[in-house]
Amino acid sequence: MRMRTWTTAIAAAGVVAIGAGTALAQGNTLNISRVIDADRYDPPRSTARSAGDILFMIADTLLSLDYDLKTVKPLLAKSWTVSEDGKTYTFALRDDVKFCDGKPMTADDVVFSLKRWIDPELKSPVRGRAGKVKDIKATDKYTVVYELQEPYSELPFQLTQYFSSIIDKETVAKLGADFGVKGFNGTGPYCWESWIPRQEFAMKRNPHYKWGPDFYQNRGPAHIERVVWKIIPENSARLASIMTNQVHLTQYVPQIALTQAMSAPNLKVVKAESYLWTAYIGFKVDREFLKDVRVRQAINLAIDQNAIVKNVYFGHAVPAYTPVSPATPDFNQKTLDVVLKYDPEKAKKLLDEAGWKLGADNFRYKDGKKLAPVFYAISGNPTNQLAEFVQGELRKIGIDMQVNLFDATIAWGKLATQEFDAYAMSYPYVSVGDAYNLYFRSAAAPTPNRMNWKDPTTDELLAKGTAAISAEERRKYYDQVQMRIQEAAVWLPTIHEELYLTATKRLDGVRAHGIYGCGVYKGLDYKFN
Amino acid sequence: MTAVVAAPAAAAVKAPGRRSVVRRLARDPAALLASVFLAAVVLAALLAPWIAPYDPFYTDPSKGMRPPFEDAAYFFGTDAQGRDILSRLLYGTRLTLLMGLVALTMGGILGTAVGIVAAFYRRVDGLLMRVMDVLLSFPAILFGLAIAAITGPGLSPIIIALAIATVPLLARISRSSALVIMQQDYIDAARAVGLVDGAIIWRYLLPNCLSSIFVFSTLRFGQIILIGAALSFLGLGAQPPTAELGTMAANGRDFLFFAPHIATIPSLTIFAIVLAFNVLGDALRDILDPRLRY
Repeated sequence: MRMRTWTTAIAAAGVVAIGAGTALAQGNTLNISRVIDADRYDPPRSTARSAGDILFMIADTLLSLDYDLKTVKPLLAKSWTVSEDGKTYTFALRDDVKFCDGKPMTADDVVFSLKRWIDPELKSPVRGRAGKVKDIKATDKYTVVYELQEPYSELPFQLTQYFSSIIDKETVAKLGADFGVKGFNGTGPYCWESWIPRQEFAMKRNPHYKWGPDFYQNRGPAHIERVVWKIIPENSARLASIMTNQVHLTQYVPQIALTQAMSAPNLKVVKAESYLWTAYIGFKVDREFLKDVRVRQAINLAIDQNAIVKNVYFGHAVPAYTPVSPATPDFNQKTLDVVLKYDPEKAKKLLDEAGWKLGADNFRYKDGKKLAPVFYAISGNPTNQLAEFVQGELRKIGIDMQVNLFDATIAWGKLATQEFDAYAMSYPYVSVGDAYNLYFRSAAAPTPNRMNWKDPTTDELLAKGTAAISAEERRKYYDQVQMRIQEAAVWLPTIHEELYLTATKRLDGVRAHGIYGCGVYKGLDYKFN
Repeated sequence: MTAVVAAPAAAAVKAPGRRSVVRRLARDPAALLASVFLAAVVLAALLAPWIAPYDPFYTDPSKGMRPPFEDAAYFFGTDAQGRDILSRLLYGTRLTLLMGLVALTMGGILGTAVGIVAAFYRRVDGLLMRVMDVLLSFPAILFGLAIAAITGPGLSPIIIALAIATVPLLARISRSSALVIMQQDYIDAARAVGLVDGAIIWRYLLPNCLSSIFVFSTLRFGQIILIGAALSFLGLGAQPPTAELGTMAANGRDFLFFAPHIATIPSLTIFAIVLAFNVLGDALRDILDPRLRY
């Protein structure tokens, strides 16, 4: 009898406890919506912003980047020193860091993760970002020495990006090719819970976490217990989901709706103070139509970036005239004096000079051939609107741009071919060196240097700038390279993006971070009121 | 003498004459309305270059997203690029109808040929119809996706996909009606008088199958337009700045909350055209199908 009473009491208490637990968990779950998923969540193996969204939260890097995108701060490394010749970086690690499974993190894990990033066998598309590495080694349990063949002043910036996240060696060995697909073990403020591809990614709070970057008020553990990232590809559906509080936060409110979201009584919109992400149209400089710099300049002159901002981005972007934003470290202000601003009459004159004469159908011809460059881009908005805008404007100066928009599944393959003349894309960067080395080196062809810009002077200037030890010397070379690209009109820069987080007013601590376009970054300060 | 045997029999099963079809259509108000509407649509589409108020490709960003019915100069408003929607609608309808017509003609001719050959030469019947069954097991959307993945998006892959998807349907329809006709005495008579296979098919088999093929084609035309628009909506169809109804609807969907007319006007047009074809197809079936005649 007594036994039964006890059993009942325990069962009842259990039910109450479970009920309360569920209520709490639901009440403290943050739903975030976004547009696309990543193919996997293995740090060095994906360059997608959608991979970064998750990886910045479930893993940490040696260093972190402040909201200004200029100040590198400690994270897993509490301090670091650079040798005088600029070739050796020594990182002193924190001794209190634990992985999600409770295992302490040591220098061995750091060496393993960084070496895996540059391992040719892993074929990381971003291993070049590690610099020319001589060796990475652990000199004791909490010290890592990073040796380079030549100076590489970009390194601290690159070590803030998610590609160089520190991961657990044993979990990688255990999961093999399924690492980042079926599981993960990192030191981030959140831990892998479950992933349903193209649907949702759930993560739970890392209870050990207390080593967050110092620009967060809360260094850990995170206030929010559980975060669920939901994929909502359709713009209208995503907008409706935040308006109706089904999700609490999103970075992807379509530009057309931002003004409305700003005035919605249940929402707030926060803009990242610093954000380096630029959209451009690149020209293949070795193909028939756009070989002549005058044609490339004419296209630049025919497009009014202010109108793009107004009509395609509904005011929520900044007109771009240079390949990187003027706010970028090492930006050459003098390039702003030679930019090509909207002047369609001058554009027509340049085309005439280049031998492209207006035909009866209002398009231009040379030797009986119509000026009809082929344009490729990944289908989706605002790219489609941008393509139609540019196409419409170019018609007015006699260029018949052939727009081809491809679904993302086949677009990347198409964009690696030599069958088009121009393409649209947007990209994140941390500095001038980062951006120009990525795109304008001969060795970067055919991708990402889809322009086939193969110029020995550019290569030489970039190599010298990258290997420079002093900031002054670096600027000298980078200034020249920026001017050279600007004058050759290799791109038509269109806009510098702005990053907005739209959140329910119930959520406190929302501040947008610009790192790699992943506005949530660590999400440590988020809290429901 | 031979002709005397064959001719009356063939005449006996002939579908009602053209006049009688028109008269019976006119008696059905829904069918009449559908016919008049479709005639107007076809006429507007044909005359698009002359009656469209503006160049459908001329962009004027400063006039973007004007609402409909407010300004007589832009009766249906403008799209995000400031293009006149009425002009684009006229050109879009033209292209959509053309796409359906080409796909239906291609698929129809091929399908009818397969069906009649299968019915006439029973040795190849099993093989041909199993091939058709295989084709039938793939939805048209899947064909479109596969072809567009190989060739890239555009109008031709859509037309090819729609044509391929139409072949097995028409093969089945024409085979089944040809099988019925093959049982008729006049076919035996034609054989008996020594007509070659080609002549029997051309003179007796095909003309007597045409009414069911025609009815089915009318219904199928509506479906083709719908699937074609769906494929365009998915981004596999005509590339900018081409005006096509499905593409126009797709372009407007991101602005549904702010400028709903950009997506709804072309969508409603597709809806009305498909509905009209279905109503007309139903009416034609009632008139032409001998089994429904009393």
